[in-house]
Parts: sequence; C-alpha cells; structure tokens
Amino acid sequence: MPEIKVTPLGAGQDVGRSCILVSIAGKNVMLDCGMHMGYNDDRRFPDFSYITQNGRLTDFLDCVIISHFHLDHCGALPYFSEMVGYDGPIYMTHPTKAICPILLEDYRKITVDKKGETNFFTSQMIKDCMKKVVAVHLHQTVQVDEELEIKAYYAGHVLGAAMFQIKVGCESVVYTGDYNMTPDRHLGAAWVDKCRPDLLITESTYATTIRDSKRCRERDFLKKVHETVERGGKVLIPVFALGRAQELCILLETFWERMNLKAPIYFSTGLTEKANHYYKLFITWTNQKIRKTFVQRNMFEFKHIKAFDRAFADNPGPMVVFATPGMLHAGQSLQIFRKWAGNEKNMVIMPGYCVQGTVGHKILSGQRKLEMEGRQILEVKMQVEYMSFSAHADAKGIMQLIRQAEPRNVLLVHGEAKKMEFLKQKIEQEFHVSCYMPANGETTTILTNPSIPVDISLGLLKREAAIGPVPDAKKPKLMHGTLLMKDNSFRLVSPEQALKELGLAEHQLRFTCRVHIQDPRKEHETGLRVYNHLKGVLKDYSVQHLPDGSITVESILIQATAHSEDQGTKVLLVSWTYQDEELGSYLTSLLKKGLPQSTA
Amino acid sequence: YRDLHTFELQAPTRVIEWARGSRVCVAGYGECGGNEILQLLPPPTLQAKEAQGLCPERDFKVECGGFSKRPVYSLKHVPDTSLLVTSGPPDSSLQVWQVSAEDSDVIKPLSTITTENGTGEPWAKIATISARAPWVLHGSRLNSVQITEVELGKNVYTAASQDSEELSGLAFLDCNTLLLCSSTGRLLLTDVRQPQGPVGAVPAPPAPCGEHWFLGTCCGEQGSEPSSWPVARLSSRGLLTLTDLRKTPECLASAKARVPSAGAGAEFLCVSWAPALEGCLAVSGFDGTVHVYDTQSWDCSGREAEPVFVHKGHAFSGTGDPPLVTVHTWHPQKPRTVLSAATDGSLHVWDWVEPCGKC
Repeated sequence: MPEIKVTPLGAGQDVGRSCILVSIAGKNVMLDCGMHMGYNDDRRFPDFSYITQNGRLTDFLDCVIISHFHLDHCGALPYFSEMVGYDGPIYMTHPTKAICPILLEDYRKITVDKKGETNFFTSQMIKDCMKKVVAVHLHQTVQVDEELEIKAYYAGHVLGAAMFQIKVGCESVVYTGDYNMTPDRHLGAAWVDKCRPDLLITESTYATTIRDSKRCRERDFLKKVHETVERGGKVLIPVFALGRAQELCILLETFWERMNLKAPIYFSTGLTEKANHYYKLFITWTNQKIRKTFVQRNMFEFKHIKAFDRAFADNPGPMVVFATPGMLHAGQSLQIFRKWAGNEKNMVIMPGYCVQGTVGHKILSGQRKLEMEGRQILEVKMQVEYMSFSAHADAKGIMQLIRQAEPRNVLLVHGEAKKMEFLKQKIEQEFHVSCYMPANGETTTILTNPSIPVDISLGLLKREAAIGPVPDAKKPKLMHGTLLMKDNSFRLVSPEQALKELGLAEHQLRFTCRVHIQDPRKEHETGLRVYNHLKGVLKDYSVQHLPDGSITVESILIQATAHSEDQGTKVLLVSWTYQDEELGSYLTSLLKKGLPQSTA
Repeated sequence: YRDLHTFELQAPTRVIEWARGSRVCVAGYGECGGNEILQLLPPPTLQAKEAQGLCPERDFKVECGGFSKRPVYSLKHVPDTSLLVTSGPPDSSLQVWQVSAEDSDVIKPLSTITTENGTGEPWAKIATISARAPWVLHGSRLNSVQITEVELGKNVYTAASQDSEELSGLAFLDCNTLLLCSSTGRLLLTDVRQPQGPVGAVPAPPAPCGEHWFLGTCCGEQGSEPSSWPVARLSSRGLLTLTDLRKTPECLASAKARVPSAGAGAEFLCVSWAPALEGCLAVSGFDGTVHVYDTQSWDCSGREAEPVFVHKGHAFSGTGDPPLVTVHTWHPQKPRTVLSAATDGSLHVWDWVEPCGKC
C-alpha cells in the first residue's frame, strides 16, 4: 500500500519549534523550520541529522515550506540553509517573505550582540537564505517539479500566515501551521476548501484551551490603560512592526473617541512608515473591514494617534506610546522604558512572547532590578503587565477545520504528550478518521489508497461482459488483462492486443514430465491401463484414448513409451501447457502413485 | 463588577461542579448523544488571592474529557476520590466515571448504578459524601431514595417510603442525616441509622398548585455545619422561602424574587447559598440573568425583594433569542465570585461588587 510518512523534528509533543518532514509518493518536503526560543544551545535547532548524517540536504529534500514569520516556524531557516546546507526552493507567502528577514535579523542581533553567542547565523546568511525563497500567492497552484505541486490557503493568525496543500498525483497532505478560525480586528479566519486530503497535519497546542473572550481581554486592557492615564502615568506598549499593533491602535482610537479622552497617543515613526508600506503591499491579506477603511482613508491616519518624536518621552503628563522593538531589547522602546521605569505611576504592557535574555523577558519574569550597559542598575518601579492577543485554534476551531477539509486522516502536532487522548477520541468519534500524535523523531506512516485511473479497451470489456453476468456497479469485479503503461497513460487491454501493439509474438510454454512405472507389458497395454485408471478416477474430466495410443485428459497429453534400457519400466510422458499447470501437476502426482494392479 | 470573564464552551452545560483541586466540571445535555464531560482547570486568576487583570493565563484548560451518550442533567464529584457520578434521562440510573488526570486525559466510564424499576423514571437527583465511605445519595421519587456505596455499587440504605411524589432535590445534612425536597415543596428529614422512613419536617409552603419547588444548594466545605444553615426553597414562580430546620415548621423568611412574568419553565431553576457571605444567595434560571439576594433583611411576608446584584452578561452574549441561564455556582473560597452557564454555551465567571458600596 502506498504510504505517507510524517516525522516531526520539532513540535511533536514539544512546543517551541515546528519542523516536520513529510514523505509523499517519493517526494520529501520539510514543513517549517522553527527555532526553539527556550534553549540557548543546539537544542534550539531541529535535529537535521535525522535526514542525513553529513553533507548538504539539497539532495534529500524537494522543497521547504514556511507557514508564517513567527520565529518558532522560521527561526532556524538561515542555519538550515546556510550552515547545514540546502540550495533547493523555499516557499512562503509574499508577506512572510517580506517580514521574515526583519525578524530573523532582530533575533540575530539579540543573540549575537547581546548574548555574545558565536555559533549563530550571520546577517549575510539571512540574505543568502532569502535569495532561495520563492514567494507564492493564495490559492495559486505552484509546480515544484513535474509531480509535486503546492497551494497556499489563508490561515489568519498573523499577516501572511498560510496553510499549505502538498499534492503528488492524487495523494495530498494539508499542513496548517498556526491558524485561527475566528476572525479578529485585522485578520480574517482561516479557510480551506473541501480538498479531502489523505492527511491533515494540524497544530493542537491550544486545543485544550477555552479562551477568555476577546471582549474581556480588550476591556481589561483598556481599563489598565485608562487607569494609568487617569492618574497621570505613561503607558509604553512595545510592539513588532505589524499585526497586533494595528489592532490595539484601532481599539484605543475607538475608546478614546467614546470616552472623550485627551491624553496623547503616539506611534513611533519608523513603525508607521513600515507598517503602512506593508499594509499597502498586502492589503488582500487583511480582513474585509480593514480593507474598506483603508480604501477610505490611510491606515494610520488616526484622529488621536500621532507620530512620535523622541523628545516627547520627556514631556510631563500622561501619554500612551507604541514603540519598537517588541521585546524591549534595543532601540526606541528600550530608550523610553529606561526613562519611564523609575516612576510607579507608569505602566508597560508587553504584547507577547519575549525571548530569553531580553529586557522584556526579564521584567515579565518578575525581575525589578536590571543591569544595563556600563554596569548601571535600573530599578523598575513601573507596573509591568502582559497581554496576549495572539490567536490560535482551539478544539472547536480544529473540529471546524476538519469539517471543512474532510481529510481521511488527521495528525496532531502539539505540546503535551499524553494529554491529547481526549481530542484524539473526539476527532475519531465525530469524523470516523484515524488520528495520530507522533513524538519528536517518531515517524508515523499513513496508508493511503489512491485510485489510479486506467482506460480499458472496449474489446476487453465486451469479452468480460460475455463471460459472466452483468457486473454490479457497487461490487468490485476481477478482470484479467494486460496493463500497458505508455507515455502518461494507463490502458488495460487483452493480452492479444497488447502483443500486437508491442509487436511481440505469443509464445507457448509446454511442460513435459516423465513418470516411471513398473510394467513389463507392451506400451499400448500400459497405455490402456493408464487410460482405464484415469477414466475411473477422473470422472469429471474428459479422458480420451486416441487411436495412436496416447491419452488425453482435457488438453493434457500422456504417452507411454518404453524405457530405453529397462524393459520392465515404462515411461509416461505427461505434457501440458502453462495454462494447465494445476491439472498437469495433479496428474503427475497421481500417476506417480502408480497404477492399480488389476486392469481391464 | 470587580472582574468578569466570559468563555464559550463548545456545547452548553447545565452542571457546574467543583471537583478536587479547584477543578470545575461541566457536561453537555444534548439529546443525541456525543455529550462531553469536561474537567476544566480554571485560570490562575480564579485561584489567586488578588484579582490580576491582565494575567498571562486567563483561560480555562480542558484537563480531561469523557463522552456520555446520555444527556447529563446532574453531575457530582465524590469527595476524596477521583470519581464522578452523573445522571440523566431516560431513566433514574447513575453513571460512575473515573478521572485519572495523571495517566491520560480521558474520563472513563467505570460502572452504572441501576435502580429497581428504574426504567422510565425521571432522572435521579444526586448528592455525594465521603464520610464512612464514598456514598452517593440518589433517587427520582420519594419512594426510591437510596444510598449506594460508589466504588462497589452496593446499596447501603433505602429510605422506606410509600410516597411516589417526584423528588426535586436531596442533600446530606451530615453523614447521617438526609434532607429531601419534593417537587411540591415538602421537606423531609431522615436518619440513615433509623429504620423508619423520612419524616416530614416542613410542609409545602402555601402556594398555588402546580408550582415546582427546588432545594437550595450549598457548596461549602464539609463539616461547616450545614445543618445550621437555613434551607432555601425556590418555586417556579419565584417565591423563596427560608426555613431553619431546628425551628421548624415556621418559616424563617420569605420573599419573591423579581422574575419575568412570562415564565420560561422550570427546567433550569437554581438557587444556592454563598459559602462565604452570610445570608447571601443567588437565583437563576428564569431568564438570562443571575440575581444575588441578601436574605438578612427579609421577613416572612413574601414581598418582592430587591436583588443586591444582577448579572446580565448572558443576555448580551449573542444574537438571536436571549439564552436562559442553566446553572450557577459560587466559588468556595472567593466570597463574591460566581460561575454561571447558559443555553448558548457561554460560561461566565464574575466577581461582583455591591453597587451601594456596602461590600
């Protein structure tokens, strides 16, 4: 049976880095190439030695697909392509291609410059890696080679995130990456058509979560900001260039309008330009609402949100500032943080995951005394809050996606080993499909049942129809024919036609076996004995005694001859064609048992 | 509110029960099978002492789940064990489940406790206790009240009664005393050590016939002398009566809850005492709201009482017909925290503040 093999190199029972190898119909595809953010050593990269112990990986992989720009899905890409070695195509969506290098460079700066690591990829490596990237559009079928094709679907979650369908012939796999089934303020919900893949690989880390409603989170966020501003404090919100920042801006703008608040909100300039630029480029990736508002006015022309100037940080009074980078590890957000950290009226709201080693991570872990450059100690008296709006599919979302795609099998990549049994049973019960949950390094084999379309010749059909009753449309019917594979077509024809088409002559195979029996009489008497014996035993067969002394059983010929040296022994020559093999060997063993003593 | 969290379950629940280690259990009640029993781990915000608005972990986690073919109308955790008992139509039998969160996350069906002549009977009301052994008190009518030892399924006690009136609630007052409430509002007491049947303690309150009465529950810690608490009864038209069992049969207090006149039926009526706020009880099931009343100011007149707080969250949840609140329960430790669920699958956790600032 043909099979699809899946091996997670990361993200099988381990949250942190996604990297999945899929082997389908002889093609090898790597899905995502993420970095584990929690480790500082080699464990942060997936274990590529699984593919090959040494040497470059170009020959072993047909392509690499990256689902979105989060570092736990693309963080190890430069290491993989430049340090381990891979020169084949890397596929991702246009926004991902644009944003990936920025995040990778950011991450590289923190790791190398701040933490002083040496075995890490360089800026040049990032650039070289991105040169190998082929950007794809949504719902565009991309031919990787003659047999392998891929197609991207909208996944929600972050700008540019996609789910990919990988297809070879009639076997296909859909990989979801991270996705979200409920739309949010700036992104739509994931969507896939009823593509009925053999396998759906989906993340299930958040399957066990029942999320607090967005309204409550937003309400709490606004409450915190409001409280701080009311008491005259300043709120710093470090953000990445894109995504959540827009959502929060829209949220604050609406709130400020409704509550008639006067405190200024600032957005650092670098951010505005970049964000604007990307949104213009990728407007089709945001949801309907944003698109409509963008058409009417510029994304960043908010009434209450203005461009930031670094001098403003020293202004007295309340304000809210969005600044990059998101983990407070460098640049403007860190500068502002240092200015405001000492005042307990102020607040910093961290919008998401912070890598170990960054100031963001430290303050979220509870550290309140930070060592800055030049051995300066910074005391953090400002309030530190964390809020995560990042959207992943929960159990309900996963079931929805499965319902949409109708896969034949489901494979879960997720965080915790044994805690997925309930979800597995839920999926199996509701959809009657098999559900797998491999661990890192564990290979799961999925058997597929592809249908291979074959043209059958009319002559063969007619012949088969003539033999038996009209076949039942629902029952499989066994037919005999010859399969001709020529060019790209499969045809089923009768053997004679096949021979003719191929210009081959038909050969007949004939077997002859010698059976020795003790019989001193003459040959024709022996022959008669044989005839009578066989006639008596083989009542259902046509046994004939021919004028020349030979005996036929159906189409098998038996002749009795004298042994050349021994008069007392007769040799029976039993001869049959290949088609009569069964009867022939039966006769032979029957005759070998000897003839009965009495004869007619 | 001091705090409000809203969640959406995949299927609506009509049970919210506290289980070991501050877990919460909910279960589906759909007619067509495939109901899930979920044991949820509440977010740290619910477990912490101080409210933390933007705490990173704000979500419930599904710790374990099981599948029930029957709709689950009642679910109780058996104290000091990892067992759950559920009941639901079409008969009065009970299902026992094993929760083993360490090995796997599946709640496995363990056994069934059947009752004699149980088929076709209404679904059983259940109460659990683990004094001498894990016991479940169950029954659907006054004449079918019994206590079964959960692990062995052995019958330990049967209340001798000829009365076939339907039960609407039952409870352990302590490890020997049972309190039964019939659907007409009669309260009966019985001692498991005595051979005689339940003794009528309090007659049904004066009220038009046809009303269904429900027993107020209390989720306080075992051994906090529940027998000293007044017993609350709620009628399907909103009448609340409080009775002190030591001073029966006179009524201690009585009031009328503010309910919409067009009654939505008595399917989900629920009344419960706040474990940490003396005299406070909550009422739900008439519409999409949960009312909190302070009974200390009540007298026996049966006048309409003003709630000290009304949770309206469920009514604003979504589009379409406003949902009905199916069940509510108080947090055992946090005095003003209440969990409530509604027919649209929503699950709310709210921490209320008395509007006049009297908290």
